[in-house]
Amino acid sequence: MHADVPATALGSDARDRVSGRTEYPSTVDRPGMLHARLLRSAVPHGRIRRLDASRAAALPGVHAVLTGETLRAIAGIETHYGPVLRDQPIVAMDVVRFVGEPVAAVAAEDLDTLDRALALIDVEYDELPSVFDGPGAFADGAPLVHETLASTSMAFAEIPIDQVASSNICHHYRLRTGDADRGLAGADFVFDDTFTSPVVQHVPLETHACVAEARPGHVTVWTGTQIPHGLRRTIAEIFHLPVTGVRIIVPTLGGGYGGKGHPTIEPVAAVLSLLTRRPVRIQLSREEEFVTITKHAASVRIVTGVSRDGMLLARRAECIFNTGAYADVGPRVAKNGGYGMAGPYRIPDISVDSYAVYTNLPPAGAFRAFGVPQGAWAYESQMDIIADRLGIDPVAIRRKNLLRDGEELSTGQLMEDSHFEELLDLVAPAVREDGVRAAEQRGRRTCRGTGFATIVKGTVTPSTSTAIVKLNQDGSADVLTSAVEMGQGFKKTMALIVGRELGISAGRVSVSDPDTDVTPYDQQTSSSRSTYATGSAVRQAAVKIRSQLLADASEQLEVAEADLELSDGRVAVVGTPSSGATIAEVMARSRRGNLIGDGMYRSEGGLDPSTGRGIASVHWHQAAGAADVEVDLDTGKISLLGFRTSVFAGQVINQVGAELQTEGNLAFGLGQALFEELLFDGGQVQNGNLGDYMVASILDMPPSMDVTFLEDPSGNVIHGLGETSLPTIMPAIANAVFAATGARVRELPITPERLLRALAAQPERGSAAVGTSA
Amino acid sequence: MMPRETAGAAAGELSITFELNGATRSARARTEHTILDVLRWQMNLTGPREGCGVGMCGACTILLDGRPVSGCLLLAVMADGRKIATVEGLEGPAGLHPIQQAFIDHSGFQCAYCTPGFVMATKALLDENPSPTVADVKTFLAGNLCRCGSYVKIVDAVMDAATRLASPATTSLVGADAR
Repeated sequence: MHADVPATALGSDARDRVSGRTEYPSTVDRPGMLHARLLRSAVPHGRIRRLDASRAAALPGVHAVLTGETLRAIAGIETHYGPVLRDQPIVAMDVVRFVGEPVAAVAAEDLDTLDRALALIDVEYDELPSVFDGPGAFADGAPLVHETLASTSMAFAEIPIDQVASSNICHHYRLRTGDADRGLAGADFVFDDTFTSPVVQHVPLETHACVAEARPGHVTVWTGTQIPHGLRRTIAEIFHLPVTGVRIIVPTLGGGYGGKGHPTIEPVAAVLSLLTRRPVRIQLSREEEFVTITKHAASVRIVTGVSRDGMLLARRAECIFNTGAYADVGPRVAKNGGYGMAGPYRIPDISVDSYAVYTNLPPAGAFRAFGVPQGAWAYESQMDIIADRLGIDPVAIRRKNLLRDGEELSTGQLMEDSHFEELLDLVAPAVREDGVRAAEQRGRRTCRGTGFATIVKGTVTPSTSTAIVKLNQDGSADVLTSAVEMGQGFKKTMALIVGRELGISAGRVSVSDPDTDVTPYDQQTSSSRSTYATGSAVRQAAVKIRSQLLADASEQLEVAEADLELSDGRVAVVGTPSSGATIAEVMARSRRGNLIGDGMYRSEGGLDPSTGRGIASVHWHQAAGAADVEVDLDTGKISLLGFRTSVFAGQVINQVGAELQTEGNLAFGLGQALFEELLFDGGQVQNGNLGDYMVASILDMPPSMDVTFLEDPSGNVIHGLGETSLPTIMPAIANAVFAATGARVRELPITPERLLRALAAQPERGSAAVGTSA
Repeated sequence: MMPRETAGAAAGELSITFELNGATRSARARTEHTILDVLRWQMNLTGPREGCGVGMCGACTILLDGRPVSGCLLLAVMADGRKIATVEGLEGPAGLHPIQQAFIDHSGFQCAYCTPGFVMATKALLDENPSPTVADVKTFLAGNLCRCGSYVKIVDAVMDAATRLASPATTSLVGADAR
């Protein structure tokens, strides 16, 4: 739809993007600006025995050196921050907890001076015992990453937090629905599998960058945050200021994917600026980016009871999310991954324990699809293990168990607007003959297979967005929101929404970047929520303007409001487009200056802390995926030949943007399926550069790709889809490899080495077993 | 011409002169500075961007005497006496280059942090091979990463740009911006 709106609806924005003129956080330049860099810990866990920065501080051109000691000496500031738990120091104070943790920060005239200054700081550590893997940190007797419990933070929307004293558990989410023990006891078969996902990184091509400019009582930060008002609150808490004392300005981001959610470099930049009374710029190197925020490694044990005919009866799951040295938003990730463990299926008895655990790795936080991929990797992989064992087709077993409208999700909500079966039909090929083809191709030592996955995903609930729309005297409109443009096409989508309500072209609608002095509260640009949540607030604001405009025009034209319509920039009598007056004429006659409308979106919900039940999501993101692969049995190389994705979109507002995001999910997902993994040795990153850490290039994209958006015929349903298809991709590819070879890899990524080991380990089953899935 | 220390340069700095987007420019650089450092902090250009610092992502792709290079790997002193083209020089007074217009028309970007690099790499490709196949395009652009994953539409944009450049008649149809 909206074929009438050109892809270049936001002409100047697109033009700047191809001309290299777009302002990003990394291009912000202020008069008198200093540069800053961070000295980072070389040990994974230790006490700082000695830190001598005197030679650095004495270097000409150095304006300030911030250490734990100087931080402690600054009167009246909070030294720790965090969106859920206030556990992260602005720079390390006494203790370091991961390799790469900032232990000192230097501000200087230029980058060359900074390099010399960092080399002049001497640090000595007394090392402490470390723990790096989630299950190890979870075990009794593991070294404690934090000795004491952290206080909870109000900087971001709160959830009930269950920290466990004298352990590394910073949140324990429980889901109890029915009686999992009884259900498992009554099952014909019980499957018990553990699946792991590694640490990966967002790798936005623009690394984190910010400029902070502080004076007593006021701090301005230009930065690439996806949560401007949350950052405003955090900076205000650090300096004990009202939020009016903090201004966050967010130019468009050079990629986010969740990695620019919560504060990272902004607090230290703000403190350095306060110390120097100069603007201070920090931009991370690529190597630093890898140790700043990551996707949670996870270990998921999933025990599922089924009946002989393939009905899911009961499930018990234990999910261990490795949140690294600081919680960031890890407790919420563990919650989302946990409540999602039933997938899009009807499972009457389910019990989930999902933990965020501290380790001595870099902090893990929000990452595209927020905990759901780690869970879906487990439950969709196991689904095909079950199907294979019972001799049921992978599509058929899903069809038997998919939730239908009116049935209960694991959290007790009733499913509405379910489209899983249609979505699965859209990706299932008419003919699938894995077994036959694989058998024929054994001589050539390659074989092909098709694999499926179906997922459900929530959006953050409860949540809030507000917006202001201003209609100008010339009939153009401004939209003020604090949602963040990071390439997902947010601005164009809002322009389309306002243009439609006011009968003006989207090209006449200007959408702001966030500036917390001016733009109203928006909770976060993540969780695939902006089109839906911010868009709802924007639409409401536009509707208010529309009714005032029609009232003014009715009075001026002496025509009943009901007989007027807005289109092509005019207020016209219904059915006579050339009648009436232009919007500009109505505005001029009314002498209002601006027509101003405000809008608010606010969803209700939340989960009970003891049962994990309640309203997890205001609606449900749904997707299916199917992968076609060819596997070389001698080398273990997996070639992705094709991928079909179907996503329930409600109504597609920005068609090109929807396609771009969904195709982008495939690039993200195939990388995580096949090669992305941040490797550590003793807590030290081994491949923290883009020569050794692989992300998908243009050559990795499959030759065949098919994206289908399932729309709601009513036209009244809007879903975001920035993440929806991502969780299907990794298990669909694994299931395709299984269909092709009979080998099951339970650890991501599915590297050639892992696949060859799995092929070597499998009992001799060859193509016969593969044939059962055809 | 070898770079040499001059009166205007601080200790340890060399003075270099190069042609930037058609204009002669002078700069100061230490031996360890890259041309990307000079373009960003002395020429105030933000089109070439550091994405990885090790020549793997292509976001800093510029043309050195017409050949695509990674600005993060080229030492500034090595640019002395040579011609450098960045995305800033592509747009003429009359409007966007057809490659840029094709990237817009096909929405060949999301965050667009990688786009100037892709545009310059495409320029190098089409200068060398005016009618590439899809496979040629993918091979040539394999050194440019787009983390948003806009690759499908990037290929469409490059193929269309080749057509537009080969056919002036087609070019005129896309509007006054195209040259």
